[in-house]
Order: sequence, then C-alpha cells, then structure tokens
Amino acid sequence: MNNYSILLLSTILVPLVIAIIFLGFGRLPKGVTQFLATVGFCFPALGALILWVNFRPLDATGYDYLMTLPTGLEGLGITLKLGLNGISVPLFFLAGIVGLASGIYAMQSGAERIQQYLMLILFMQAGLMGVFASVDIFFFYFFHELALIPTFICIGVWGGRDRHSAAMEMTIYLTLGAMLSLFGLLAIYFQSGAESFDIISLKSAVLNSPIDGGAQTIIFGLLLFGFGILVSLFPFHSWAPRGYAAAPTSVAMLHAGVLKKFGLYGFIQVALPLVPLGANHWSMVLAWLGLGSVLIIGLITIAQRDLKEMVGFSSVMHMGYCFLGIACMSVLGSAGVIITMVAHGLTVALLFLLGHVVYKRTETYDMDNMGGLVKHTPALAALFSAAVFASIGLPGPGLLNFFGEFTVFIALWEFSRPITAIAVLGVIISAIYGLRAIGHIFFGSPSEVFQKHLKENSIKDISTAEKIPVLLLIITLFVIGFFPRMMTDDMNNSLEDNFSSINSELKQLAVEEAPKSPLEVTLSIEPSAK
Amino acid sequence: MDVALIYKLFFLLPLVTAGIIACFLRKKHTLAAVFSVVSATVFSGLGLYLIFASERTAWSVSWLSLGGSECRSFDLHFGVLFNDLSALMLLVLIIVGLLVQVFSLGYMKDDPSKARFFAGLSIFMFSMLGIVLADNLVMIFIFWELVGFSSYVLINHYFDKPKAVAASKKAFIVNRVGDFGFLLGIVFVYWQFGTFNLVELEAKAALSPGLLSTGMGLLLFCGVLGKSAQMPLHVWLPDAMEGPTPISALIHAATMVAAGIYFTARVYFLMTDEVLNVVMWIGTITALYAAIVAFGQNDIKKVLAFSTLSQLGYMVAALGLGQYARSTGHGVEAGLATGAAVAMFHLTTHAFFKALLFLNSGSIIHACHHEQDIYKMGGLSGKMKLTFVTFTVGVLAIGGFPFLSGFFSKDSILHLAHMAPQHGGSSVPYYILLGTAGLTGLYMGRLYVVTFFGKARSDNADHAKESGPAMVIPLLILAVLSVIGGYTSIFGHGFDAVFHSIHVAEGSFKTLMIITGSLFSVGGILLAWIIWNPKKDTDALESSVPVLFKALSKQLYFDAVYDWYVIKIQDRVSLILSFLDQLFISGLMVRGTAGLVGVFGIISRSMHTGNLGGYAYWFAIGVLVLGAIAFGTFKF
Repeated sequence: MNNYSILLLSTILVPLVIAIIFLGFGRLPKGVTQFLATVGFCFPALGALILWVNFRPLDATGYDYLMTLPTGLEGLGITLKLGLNGISVPLFFLAGIVGLASGIYAMQSGAERIQQYLMLILFMQAGLMGVFASVDIFFFYFFHELALIPTFICIGVWGGRDRHSAAMEMTIYLTLGAMLSLFGLLAIYFQSGAESFDIISLKSAVLNSPIDGGAQTIIFGLLLFGFGILVSLFPFHSWAPRGYAAAPTSVAMLHAGVLKKFGLYGFIQVALPLVPLGANHWSMVLAWLGLGSVLIIGLITIAQRDLKEMVGFSSVMHMGYCFLGIACMSVLGSAGVIITMVAHGLTVALLFLLGHVVYKRTETYDMDNMGGLVKHTPALAALFSAAVFASIGLPGPGLLNFFGEFTVFIALWEFSRPITAIAVLGVIISAIYGLRAIGHIFFGSPSEVFQKHLKENSIKDISTAEKIPVLLLIITLFVIGFFPRMMTDDMNNSLEDNFSSINSELKQLAVEEAPKSPLEVTLSIEPSAK
Repeated sequence: MDVALIYKLFFLLPLVTAGIIACFLRKKHTLAAVFSVVSATVFSGLGLYLIFASERTAWSVSWLSLGGSECRSFDLHFGVLFNDLSALMLLVLIIVGLLVQVFSLGYMKDDPSKARFFAGLSIFMFSMLGIVLADNLVMIFIFWELVGFSSYVLINHYFDKPKAVAASKKAFIVNRVGDFGFLLGIVFVYWQFGTFNLVELEAKAALSPGLLSTGMGLLLFCGVLGKSAQMPLHVWLPDAMEGPTPISALIHAATMVAAGIYFTARVYFLMTDEVLNVVMWIGTITALYAAIVAFGQNDIKKVLAFSTLSQLGYMVAALGLGQYARSTGHGVEAGLATGAAVAMFHLTTHAFFKALLFLNSGSIIHACHHEQDIYKMGGLSGKMKLTFVTFTVGVLAIGGFPFLSGFFSKDSILHLAHMAPQHGGSSVPYYILLGTAGLTGLYMGRLYVVTFFGKARSDNADHAKESGPAMVIPLLILAVLSVIGGYTSIFGHGFDAVFHSIHVAEGSFKTLMIITGSLFSVGGILLAWIIWNPKKDTDALESSVPVLFKALSKQLYFDAVYDWYVIKIQDRVSLILSFLDQLFISGLMVRGTAGLVGVFGIISRSMHTGNLGGYAYWFAIGVLVLGAIAFGTFKF
C-alpha cells in the first residue's frame, strides 16, 4: 500500500462522505452545498487522472495500487481489495470524467431539492468509482448496486415524462439483471474453490483447476442474461430508451455513459477469464443477439422522433458492437470493446447533455417540432454536430469511436465473415439517423410549432456554464482519440495476460475432445493418400 | 530541413487554420478569409518544396498497436508515403486548392457566413492531404471519411435551403454506403496480408499473388464507387451542386471525387484482372450515361456535374482497361501500372479544365445574380469577355481539341481501349468511349452556345458584368494550365514514375485522334449551334421530344429509385420495426411481466407504505436473502 493506493480509496470515499454529509446534516446553506459538491465531483476526476498517468503495474498480476482493507467478513471470503489494471484504468478515468461533467451540469440544473439530488448523484459517483476500482467481485457488485439504486430514485423523483412507469420498468429489469449476475458471480466463487472473492486469487484458482465445463456453461448463461439485461442487450433493451427519456439529464449521462458499462466490464474482466469454456459455448448466441442490437435497434433508431429516445436507442445499438466484440473471444475483440466503451461513454453523455441544452431552448424533445435552430445557436449546432459525428464513428471528432468499432470489425472477421458483413451495415444506419437528427433540429426552416415558440421566446446560444461540461467531454474524447496508445498499451498487456490463460484452457478442451474421434483422423488422411 | 517536421507542419497548418477561424474569427469574416488564403499560400509553398525540392520519402509513427503474442498484431501507423504518384496528386491539390481559395475571396465576398466557409475549406485541405500522403489503408479510410465530412459541411453551406440540407445528407449517406464495402475490404486485406501498410502490401502481393482475391478488390472498389460517384452510387453528385460554386470546382470536380481514382491507382497491385474488368465496365457505362443525361439539364452547374461524372467514368474505365496493358509491361522500373498512370494523367488535366469550367460558371452565376438556368442567360460573350475566352478554352479542352490538355489524356485512354482487343478484350468499351467523346463535344457545345450567344433571356443576364480580379486571375491561370497541361514534360522529372508509363498513340491512330478530336470539339459547337439555336428561348430537345427530355432531366429516374427506396423501404421498415418493438417487446413482454409484478406490488403495499424508496428496501432484502441462501445452503 502506498500513497497512490490511499488516493484510489479516497476517490471513492470523498464523494461517499460528502453524500453522507448531505444526507445526514439536514439542509445546508447553498454555498456550502455547491462547494462540497464541487469537491465531490472534481476529486474523483482529478484522482483518476493522476492514477492513470502514474499507472505502472509491476508484479505479475498486472495490477497497480493494490490495497486490502479488512471488512470483518474475511471468513466469507469478502475483503475490500482495491486496485487497477490495464483494463480498468481507462474505465476508472471515464467514470471520473463523466461524473464530473454530469455533476457540473447537475449543479446548474436548478432542480428542486437540489441537495438531495446532488447527494444521490454523489452516491452514484462513489459507486461508479468503486465498480472499476474493486478487485474483489463482491465489492464490484456491491458498488454497482450503490450506484444503481440512486438511479431509480432520481428517475422516480426528478424524472420527466412518464417517470413512474419508466422507473418501474427500469427497476424491474435491472434488478432482475443484477440478480442473475449475482447468482453467476456467486456460482463462480463457489465452483472455483477459491477462498476469496478477490479476482486475482480466483484467476489463479481457475488456472490450477478450471471449473467444470457444464457448470461453466450454466454460469456464463446466467451472466450472459444478467449482464446482458444490464447493458440493454436485444431483446432486453426496452428499459433503456424509455428509462433514459424519463431520467434527469445528469442521471442519464452517468447511467448510459458509465454505469451501463458494468456488465461489459464484467464480461471482460470476470466472465471471460474465469469461465472461458462457458463463454465459448455461448459465443454464437451472444453474437446473434449483438447483431440484433446493431441491425434491428439501428433501424428502430431511424424511426424515432424523440431526441432523447433516439439517443437511448442509438446507445443500445452501440452496445451491440460491444457484444459482438466480446463474442469474438480474442484480444482484439475485447480491446475493441473497451475502446468502444470509453468512446461511447463520453459520446453518449455528451449527447444527453447537449440534447438537454437543446431542450432548454425548444422546450420539446420532439425533433419534428424543431428546425432552423442553427441561426439562433451556431455554437450549439457545431458542438451538437461534433457529438453526433463522434457517435456515428466519424474518425474526426469520433476517432476513438472509430478505432473501437474498427477493432471490433477486425476481430469479428476472424469469428464469422457473414456476421461482420451485416454488422458493418451499422455504419450506414448510424449515419442515417445521426444526420437526420442534425437536419431536423438545426437546419431547414422552423416547424410551425417551433415558429410559434420562437415568436414568444428569444433563444440564446449555448452559455459558458453549459459549455464547460461539454468541452470537458469533447476534449477528452479528442485527446484520447488522437493518442489512443495512452490507454491501449496497458490495456493490451492485461488482455494478453487474460487471454493466454483463456486460450490454454480452450486448447486443453480441444485436446480432451480430440481422442474421441480417431476415426475421423484416419478418414481425413485417406483421400490425400490416394 | 527535417522531413518529419515538414510533414507535421504540413498536416497541422490547415487544421490549425480551421481551428483558429472556428474559435476566434467566427465573426470577423474578412479577416478569416484573408487569414485562410495566406495560410493556403504557405501550405502551397510547403507543398511545392516537398514536390520539387525534397526526396521522395516515407515517414511514420506508431498510432495504435494491439494484439501481439496472443493474436495477430494489429499495428496502425500515422505515416506518409511520398512517391511520384502522391506528388502528382499533391500538385493538383495545391494548385486548384489555392486558386479556388483566391477565387472565393471574390465569389463569397458578400456571404454572411464566410468564416465558416473558409474554415470548411481548410478542413477539406487537411483531409484531402491525408488521403494523398497516407501510407496505409486505415489512415486513407480515416481521411476518406473526413473528406466526406467536409464535403457535407460545405454542401450544407446554405443551410436554410431545404435542398442543400437534403443534398448534404444524401452525399454523406451514399458515400457511407460505399464506405461500408471499403471498410470490409480493409478488414479482408488485413486478414489476408496481416498489414495495412501500402509498401508492405505491395511486396507481399508480388510475392504471393494467391492471397489476392476478386472479392477483396471489389470491396475496396466500393469506396471508389461512392467517392468518385460511379454508377449506381452516382446519385449524390448532381445534388451536391447545391453547395457554393467554388466548392463544386474544388471538391466535386477536381480533387475529392478524383480521390477514388487516386486511391485505386495507389492500391493498383491489389486489383486482380477480374476486378479490373468490372471496373472497366462501370466506368464505361457511367461515362456514357452521364453524357446522355447532360443533354436534359438546364442548370449550368448540373451540366458540368454530369460532365464530371462522365469524365470520372473515363478515368475509371482507364483503370479497368489497364488490365490489358499489364501483360505487355512497361519500360520504367518501379513505375506505376499503365492503367493507373493513364487515369492519373486524365485526372490531372481534368482537374485543370473542369476547375476552370466550374469557376467560370461561378463567375457567370455571380454576374447573373445567382441565376443558374442557362435559358435565362444568353449573350454573355460580349459582356464578360475574359470569362468568355477562358470558358472557350475549357470547352475545347474537355472536347479534346488537338494539343490542348484534354486531347492528350483522352487520347491515351482511347488508345488503351483501342488496344484491348489485341489482348483478348472486348472492343465495345472503345466504341462507347469514342462515342461518348462525341457526345461530350455536343453537350458542352449546347451549354456554350446557349449561355454565351443569342440575346440575354433575363434581366439578370442583361445586367451581367465581368467579375473582379480575384475571380478572373484564377480563371486565366487555369486556362493556361488547361492549354499546356497535357505536355507532361513541363512538370519536370518529378513524376516520371507516372508519366513514363503512359502509352501515347502513334501513326495512323494518332491521326485518327487528331481528326476526331477536332471534329468532336469544334464540330460539337457548330452542331450545337444548329440544333440549339441561341436565338430560341426554349430547348430544342424539350420542344421536339418532350418525353425524352423529361426522362433525361430526371436523370433517367435513378434519383426517383433512390427516393423511393428511402421513403418506401427504409423508412417503412424502421417504422414497422419500431412498432413491433413497442408492441411485443415493450408491450407484451415487459408490461406483462410488470402486471405480474404488480400483483406482488399490491401484496407488498399492504405491508409497506410503497414509495420508490420501497423498491430499494425490497431489493436490499432480496440481496440478503439470496446471500443467505448462497452462503448457507447453496450447492451447485
């Protein structure tokens, strides 16, 4: 344990403590609330940046900043073990930066009962930092719940249109997903025979004696549907567009941008290395469902009139690429997924944020009731277009998005060529809905409804206060996009470590299965002998 | 000077210019324009230094690197491969680019969003530079998409015109359709060869030709179909004329649409003969189709747009015809294949005369207060003397008048086509291309005669005056280049690898070319004068065969099919899917479950006050119960 480990712990503790202060101290003066909230959002972001810059994994585990805190539950194998590896470090930073942007926006949102609102978002923030910093899969799950529950409450209380039914649907779905993944994670623990939930010891336990193939299939099945529901895998996606449409902006940003990535992260960090045979068994199902997300949801996205629902559906679509990447079961596939996760997290947060900035000017999310906004808000139009072009993977603003998708495509070709060909169609589909959205909102002539609105209100361009979180996200996306190696090098090392054991286990399987067909071997030799 | 430094500067200059204009000079229009032109001048200076005074080099830095031990490595570099071919393309880019910037100073003088226009131009120069210099396929694709983006922004310049908005969207999406294949092609190449780098690819392809396949070449060529607007993805280019005219000259005539040709020349070693055969037919048919449709257009820019399509068809056909020249080989060591060289030659001369024609049309449109209908012009020869002279040069050059630039390049394409039967090819492309050359002379003649002769057919045309020096000087320079651009020796020896691979016609074929060239260009004008008498106010074809004219003006209904597809198929499919999603997945599955849960909800409400906090409470209990089961009795 060193000073950096303490910094790692404090990125979780600082927002948590401030949230508890907000909860426990009753109504605080506005200035104090603002100050504390600012600290609570800035600290994790800065901490994450420092930890990323100084990331030097030294030992064979591939982790840095490892620390273990007693929990009193050691008998059950539960320790609070924190640390970062090459896979989690960029996502940890993503959580920090998206948290900061959504926090800044929440502070200026002027929501009623702002202190409670900020409190819940700070709880989310603490949970998100915890998810990616946990080495222990019990706490990995625990922190996810810590972030998830405030999400439901925020939607139910501060949400927009049909917030109650959306919150209800989301709660049922996500709770179901969380339950299934909990079963899966617990099953891994018990089947592995390890004495701790700590993923490092789980990995070494599995390396010595892999989990039985049949059990792996069941476990991965649980995780597939559990994590799948949490990441809005087709056809379990319907909570996402509705939930995001109802959610307050900052919550939508945090959930779609970061919290949703929990499931994907779980696949790559936990499921693939620990139950590779199960993953191998399910990979075709995963790929087809991922393809459904890309193609079917992509086409559905084209038909959306509501800006927020469109962003919600597009986010489901992009998750489809991630499932395809995971299904490949290769370093490249998983690398593509992580790059896409970071890129998509920043982009989707940006789109929800800018969508709300647009909403404040049009007072509607219905894109058919907008039009010609660019004349009033040129800077907003430029920023929004940049975000949309990033989201559709245009390698300028969205260089990182492009690298992510492209790496997935590369990996997918090895997995299945027809699936690749269909998945790449997403490139066209996303261009269609993206440009349609820009066109409907900003160009052409204003719709009748909007003309009336224009007469009654004067519309101002995006303000400096609104620009701060936007630029924060855009600049991060640009910088990582132009210098992708700052995240991919460490990530690649961790993935290669994981996959060297995965591949050896898969090869073992191939060897075990081989002896049962000596006949085929002789048969296949015969024709060439002739 | 350090070469790497020059390359970095070269890339950064237009990008930084665009950034500075976008961030600081958005409201200072004149300053933005001047700044942009100055930057373009420095850019051109650097370019000329690279082309004429520096070594042909390669330079690269690692950009993204994945895989390695557990899977095939995926190494992406940001790199430059500067050879004679890219030097030639760069020369075209900086000459036309600079002239268009200067021209825009005059043309866009009164435009309220000049700053955005010039920022867009700089972004375009940056993106195009990337395509020209890139040393690997992925980087080409990246800049390829960026070029599409800048084209989108610039077509969309007059964004309160619904037509311009629709056109920009169409251009981007149709290009993406092509890029779909392109992207798959790149992935295919990667798995076959394990690299994206052009130099390594060429070496590997030469070493083991078995790795090449028709599918790979065709997929890569899909990108060219989109960007160079070949059939059936040509539908976006005529619509793209909604953009400002200087943009049409630079992007939609001289450089961007030619990028597809350049790309194919750059990866010519990946194209098998089967691929080239398809390429040849696509080019030939596009050339003919566009030349026919040009007769049905009354918009001056639309005529030029179809003429661009047609000429691009020639270049693509030349690339395809190269399959017959391959076996014969050529004298220059490490030179470009003949087909690619010939296509590049026509690309170069076309860039000069087509940019000239487009800028001329800009000058005319500017003088006629944004009137674009040629039947509302007329009699401009007396009012705009310089424009008239330079336009005449352009018309003769594109018509293939002997010893002007277009003559030599078209001659070399026809020569290739003429040789095809000797190597087992069909003679049909030759006759189609020759016939199209005749049509070219005729439709350009129609445009020329109707625009410049007779009497003014509208007030706007009546009041037309010659444009200012910022617009006329670029015209004069381009006119000179259109005259002398065919003499490859004037460019020096920097492009030998390209120009030495070109076969020029000799003997009787040369005589034939001189005769047909003069006949088509001058005869075309004379015949046009007879058919479309400039004294008349209506189109001769329209009044005599209205059905045919209507079909031509509707571009033989390709556009209608596109619209039908978008509205009837794509939009309906997505609406139906959306409806099904609502009905089944959200409706039955989720609401059904929710109904079931609702029953539990009633039970729980009887025990609990039931607000949202309650769900969290129940959730916590659920976790505890599950945990208890798991720790205590859970046996798998």
